[in-house]
Amino acid sequence: MSRLDGKTAVVSGAARGLGRAFAEALAGAGTHVIAFDIASNMPAVASEIAAATGGRVDGVVADVSQRADCERIVAHAVAAGGGIDVLVNNAGVWRETPVDSDWETALADWDYIMDTNLKGVLMLSRAAIPHMKGRVNANLVNISTYYVLPARSGGTNPPRTDLYAASKWALNGFTDAWAGHLAAHGVRVNALAMGAVDTPMLRNLFADGQLPPDLAAGVMPSSAIAGLLLDLIAEGPSGRTGENIGAWVGSPVELPPRKVPHERITGINIRIEH
Amino acid sequence: MASLKGRNALVTGAAVGLGNAYARALAKAGANVAVCDVRAEIDELPAALRGMGVQSAGWRGDVSNPADVRRIVDGAIAALGSIDLLVSNAGIWGGSVADDDLDKSLADYERIVGTNLKGEYLFGRALIPHMLAHGRGGDIVNISTDHVHTCGTPFHVCPKLDSCPWKDAPRPTAGGTIMDLYDAGKWGLHGLTFAWAKALRPHGIRVNAICMGATDSNMLRGFHNFNPSPEEVATWMKAEDSAQVLIDLLMEGPGGRTGENMNLCVGRPTRLEPALPPVYILAEDIHVKA
Repeated sequence: MSRLDGKTAVVSGAARGLGRAFAEALAGAGTHVIAFDIASNMPAVASEIAAATGGRVDGVVADVSQRADCERIVAHAVAAGGGIDVLVNNAGVWRETPVDSDWETALADWDYIMDTNLKGVLMLSRAAIPHMKGRVNANLVNISTYYVLPARSGGTNPPRTDLYAASKWALNGFTDAWAGHLAAHGVRVNALAMGAVDTPMLRNLFADGQLPPDLAAGVMPSSAIAGLLLDLIAEGPSGRTGENIGAWVGSPVELPPRKVPHERITGINIRIEH
Repeated sequence: MASLKGRNALVTGAAVGLGNAYARALAKAGANVAVCDVRAEIDELPAALRGMGVQSAGWRGDVSNPADVRRIVDGAIAALGSIDLLVSNAGIWGGSVADDDLDKSLADYERIVGTNLKGEYLFGRALIPHMLAHGRGGDIVNISTDHVHTCGTPFHVCPKLDSCPWKDAPRPTAGGTIMDLYDAGKWGLHGLTFAWAKALRPHGIRVNAICMGATDSNMLRGFHNFNPSPEEVATWMKAEDSAQVLIDLLMEGPGGRTGENMNLCVGRPTRLEPALPPVYILAEDIHVKA
C-alpha cells in the first residue's frame, strides 16, 4: 500500500460507520487525520484509531451544518499541516421524508437533510479549498449514493426519501464543477457512490439493527470502501477527476477504469440493441 | 385543438420568459391558470389570461420563502377551487465557483439553491397533500436544465437521433465550472422528480421534468447582458415551442409518462419525443430497442 506520510486529511462524520473507516485507512497510511463528528465520543474514537493504526488522529466534536465549526476544523487542519491534502465529505444524515407530510414537517425535513448533506458539504469545502490549492495530489472526495448512477442503478431512488436523494443528486453539480475549476490548482475532485455498506446508517433501517440474511450476505464492508479511497488517492496528481465512482453489492469493490468525460458523472454506459 | 379545459394550473415565475409562455399556452389550451413571480409585472398577467377566456389570479412572492409559498398556494386553491397542475418554473441563475469565499457562497446558496431546488420542493410539498385529498390526480412539471444531461437526450437511453448534435461526439455535462450551485440545485431536482413520480403514480399524479437547453428567455437574455447578438439568438429555441411541449406532455393524460426528464436541447427539434421506458421509477434493466 502506498504511504501518505506527511499528508493532512479532514474527515467529516468520522465517529462511526464509513467516516470512521476512512479515518482508519488514512491514519494507517500515515496521514495526520482531523476527524470530526457531532458525536461526543469522537475524541475517544480518535484515540482508538490512533492506537490501532499507530497514526495521528485528532478527534474534534463539531457540526458540519454550522459555519463556525467548519471554519474551526479547517483552521485546526491548517495549523497542524500547513494545508489540507485530503478532504472527505462523509458526514450525512438520512431519514424518510414522505411526500404527504404536513407543511411544518416538510419544512423541518428540508433543514434536517439539506443543512448537513448539501449546505454542510458546501461550507466545509469552501473553507478548505483555498488550503488545498497547490498541494501535491490534493483530493476532495464527496460521499454519495449509487442512486445517482443510472447506468446500473436506474429506478433505485426510493419514493419516501425525496430529500436524501435530492441532496445526493445535487452533489453531482459540485463534483463536476469543482473538478473542472480546480484542475489547474492540482486538486482532484471525485465522489464515491455506494450501494449498501455495513454502517449504522444502514443497520438503523432495521428494527433490531440486524441486517436481513440476504443483505447481510452481500453488504459491502466499510473497510472495502475506505480501500477504494486510498486507491483513488494513490492514482497521484495525474489521476482521475470529476468522476462518480460506483460500488455495488454483488460486485468486486475496486476502482473501475477511468471514464471518458461524458460518462464521468452519470456512469452512462449506453447499450443499444439493434 | 388541444384542450385542457377544466384543469386548474399554478405556474411559478410566470411574469417573463418561459414561465410567461407556459402560462399563456395553458390558458390558450383552456386551463384556468394561477400565477406568481417575484416581479411586479406579474400583476398584469391575470387580466391578460382572463382575456383569453379562462379564470386567473396572481401573486407576488418569492418561491424560496416558505411563508410566500404557503400564501400563494392557499390563495390559488381558494381562487380556482382546487389545483391539479403545477408547473414549477421559477428559477434564477448566478455564477459561483469552488473557491468563492464563504460569505458569498452562503448568500448564493440561499438565493440559487433556495429558488431552484427549495422553491420546487416547497411548491410540490404544499400541493401534493391537496392533490391527494381531491383525488383527481394531476401533474407536476419541474423545469430544469440540460446541464444535467450529457448526450443530448435522457442520458442513459439515447435514441441516437440523426438530429442529435452530439450523436458522434457525446458531450460532457454542460454546466462547466462557473455555476456549481446552479447545477447542484438542478441536479437535486432529480431526487424530487423520481421520488415523487414513484410515490404518486398510484394516485394518478404524474411527475416529470423538462430540462431546457438554450431558449430565448429572460434568463438567457440576462446571461448575455440583455444584448445578445442576432446570430446567437437565432440558435436558441423558442419559448413558445417549449410551451407546446408542455401542453403535449399534459395532453398525454393520466396514462402518460411519469418520472421522465425530457431534454430539449439546441440542435434538435423542440418537440415531445415518444415516452422512454420509465427506468427511474422501475428498477429494471435499461436495454433499449433501437
